[in-house]
Amino acid sequence: MLDIAFVKPALPRHGALVLPLAEGAETALTGLAQAIDAATGGAVLKALAAAGFKGRKGQSATIWAPALEGGAPGPAKLVALGLGKEMTAEAAEAAGGALLPLISGEREAVIAAEALPAPIAASLSLGLLLRSYRFDRYRTTEKEEDKPKLERVSVATDAASAVKAAWAPMRAVADGVFLARDLVSEPPNVLNPSEFADRLQALESHGLVVEVLGPKEMRKLGFGALLGVAQGSAEEPRMVVMQWNGATGGKAKKAAQKPVAFIGKGVTFDTGGISIKPAAGMEDMKFDMAGAGAVAGVMLALAGRRAKVDAVGLVGLVENMPSGSAQRPGDVVKTASGQTVEVINTDAEGRLVLADVIHYCQQRFAPRFMVDLATLTGAIIISLGHEHAGLFSNDDALAQQLTAAGKTVGEALWRMPLGEAYDKQLKSDIADMKNVGGRPGGSITAAHFIQRFVDTKDGPMPWAHLDIAGTAWTTKDLPTVPKGATGFGVRLLDRLVAEHYEG
Amino acid sequence: MLKLRLRRAPREDAAPLLVPVVEGDAARFPFAAAAGFTGAAGQVAEQPGPARRLILLGCGTPKRSLDWEEAGGLGLAAAGAVPRLGLDARGLAPEAAASLAAGAALRAWRCDAYRAPGEVAPSRLDLIVDSPEAVLPRWARAEAAVRGCLLARELVAMPANRLTTREFARRLETLAEHGITVDVLGRKRLRREGLGGLLAVGGGSANPPRLAVLRWRGSVAAPPVAFIGKGLCFDTGGISIKPASGMQEMKADMAGAAACAGAMLALALRRSPAPAVAVLAIAENMTGAASYRPGDVLRMGSGRTVEVVDTDAEGRLVLADALHYAATQFRPQAMLDLATLTGAIVTALGAHRAGLFGTDAALLAQAAAAGEMVGERLWPMPIGTRHREDLRSDIADLKQCATGRFLPDACHAAAFLREFAGGVPWAHLDIAGVDTRAEAGALGGKGPSGFGARLLDMLMQMYFEDVERH
Repeated sequence: MLDIAFVKPALPRHGALVLPLAEGAETALTGLAQAIDAATGGAVLKALAAAGFKGRKGQSATIWAPALEGGAPGPAKLVALGLGKEMTAEAAEAAGGALLPLISGEREAVIAAEALPAPIAASLSLGLLLRSYRFDRYRTTEKEEDKPKLERVSVATDAASAVKAAWAPMRAVADGVFLARDLVSEPPNVLNPSEFADRLQALESHGLVVEVLGPKEMRKLGFGALLGVAQGSAEEPRMVVMQWNGATGGKAKKAAQKPVAFIGKGVTFDTGGISIKPAAGMEDMKFDMAGAGAVAGVMLALAGRRAKVDAVGLVGLVENMPSGSAQRPGDVVKTASGQTVEVINTDAEGRLVLADVIHYCQQRFAPRFMVDLATLTGAIIISLGHEHAGLFSNDDALAQQLTAAGKTVGEALWRMPLGEAYDKQLKSDIADMKNVGGRPGGSITAAHFIQRFVDTKDGPMPWAHLDIAGTAWTTKDLPTVPKGATGFGVRLLDRLVAEHYEG
Repeated sequence: MLKLRLRRAPREDAAPLLVPVVEGDAARFPFAAAAGFTGAAGQVAEQPGPARRLILLGCGTPKRSLDWEEAGGLGLAAAGAVPRLGLDARGLAPEAAASLAAGAALRAWRCDAYRAPGEVAPSRLDLIVDSPEAVLPRWARAEAAVRGCLLARELVAMPANRLTTREFARRLETLAEHGITVDVLGRKRLRREGLGGLLAVGGGSANPPRLAVLRWRGSVAAPPVAFIGKGLCFDTGGISIKPASGMQEMKADMAGAAACAGAMLALALRRSPAPAVAVLAIAENMTGAASYRPGDVLRMGSGRTVEVVDTDAEGRLVLADALHYAATQFRPQAMLDLATLTGAIVTALGAHRAGLFGTDAALLAQAAAAGEMVGERLWPMPIGTRHREDLRSDIADLKQCATGRFLPDACHAAAFLREFAGGVPWAHLDIAGVDTRAEAGALGGKGPSGFGARLLDMLMQMYFEDVERH
């Protein structure tokens, strides 16, 4: 991973020197920027003016091999980076992200961040770090010159301790995002349910309490829906329960502080089962565990930044395969809640997994609220595209908190409706419900299916469902997300906790 | 439409009598308790016995006109195949009485034009009230919206061999009798206006395209509100032809235009003070020797060029020209377009809500509020930056739609239309999921719903008729 350090300002003698400049600052350089301009006899200011660089958002200018007076050794490359008029955290992140490709050819870079407020300098670094993610575990023949060279970035600041303080929690969240991206990127022959569970077990070293349940335990708990999905695969299913006891200091629980709960769909590969998917694009279905990946990521982030919250993260891990022992359309399964489901389409398996895990979560932890994340429906992509994940909730306050948190970190949500008329589409002739409600409103009926396992009989249970099928993976580079797994949800949920549920 | 007579007392005959009962008021009917009838919304109980049928209608705790309308509609349905019935609204507020009757009238409508006569269906309703004088003005107002809705349903129900583009225009011209000014642009004038989108879509059909412009002047000196309607009398998909299964439903692809026409009729019937204009793009999308093709580049009315990707995404092309025409000809204070535009909106919202897109937060909130009032529900949907980016074309100013799998086509269509709204506050209602009822509901039987006509009428009533505002 890219090494980011915070250092005292000094002109680098090689590598890249980055000058992040707000609009208007490009004519009145300070700090290292001024120093390099002076060292080049004013050539930097002249070059920026000649390049038409105004410090506008998204603007950049590159000066190669600036000649230092007296032939002194200096940076190989100067990059002026426009920050725009108002330096918001979001804009700084985007600028940091945009910076990465401009300096990735150098081994080292110094960012002249003396003029930036500490949180902005940290956000800029976060953007850079998030964009630098690369999953290259399986490349064995890549040529050295094709690999990104950047190893170390030094952020030059006079307020190192303030920037470091702002940076530490961001760094922890970035670790969570990278864990989620790693898990999503892993091929399905590597990341099967037991391997997934093993990797989550390893998070204990970060202070999480992790339990792994296998088929035997789940059978005992009556997880008929989850086990039905898993039964066609040679890979055994798992449920993993992760706990972070940050409010109670990791000791035995004192008072009855209810935890917040995150639940993730972890279908490590989804062929569709007997209702098999078309071959084209099926390889994407390795990311059908992105909800579980995000839950793991946020739990690691909370532990990494020692968040003062009690949180539980539960993931249902299965593989959905067609086989002689696979579940069939027409099968009726009994869920852990006792409700029965007629399986109409074996490719609507995610909701079956979630049904049992959500029920278990509520029974065991009686949480303050539950948020589930799932790459649940193709219909949500047809509804919203790739810019927003679908948000369904029985609680307006929670929905607003989530939407606001998503907006802040650039993981946008769009609220979608629920309603009795949609719920009726799940009516079955033989069981309590069908697992699909037809094409019309396909994401809404999926949300209603899940809602049937949120128990509000003995009082309200705030619940939200994020359908992330359109946002878990990106086919093009985004400012802070390179092409591939996005880790969508980690930052959003971390922000939700930080804003509303700590202390 | 159901013929309504206001009376102070029921007739002395055997016609069934509907009695609305609010929650908790059922005790005055001794048989109600035995039937488990409490007055809860949606409940119906019928008094047994050989005398006149007495049907109790549960009204729950009605708060809005819509609650009364739904009770009236359910009552009408419960009465069954009878030619005449009474509705006892004595003791209720005049507003409630009018709403009950409106609901009954909406539920009673059916399309009988193509059947042999003979089947008995409710055609007359006696509305029994304490004061006919007090109810009459309320009914007149409610009736205007009902007639607007039913006009829309009639037009949608018509098969495409009857409702040709010419016939649609002719029927719109008959609205002149209500004080609506109607101007129909044929091919020659469409060419003069340069409406290349509409001309291209209509090019493959033997029935020529039309742009119908309906104006209601109102009495207030203000810019009009513009209703823009997609009026595809039939949509085969054109060269990008649709699968055969279900294609018959495409006769309803003019439901947006029909709803706009219905709203104009409602405004005229109740003499709305607010000026309004409807611009309806009427065409038939056929496979023909002169059909437009995927790959064609069209020059639209606004001068922009559009690369055609899929000839079955024709609605946005005709709407784009209609939006541009409305924006430039009338400088409206707001524009709302209604269109059975995309299958994607059906995938997104199903049959219970229409998709609401637009550029003006206030207008969007107003449209959604009006929809709630009349039971024509909307749900806000996004137009994102990516949606617009996806429409970049290699050869023209923009592509008409994107290509690939799992496309958010409703959002793409809205992003496309936005380019032609000319900066006017604009809302787009994608009604593809709600134009036809798959099963009977309180306010209508199976078939065309007329969705949108009452919504637009209510929108005008709630937000654009405040004379003080101008």
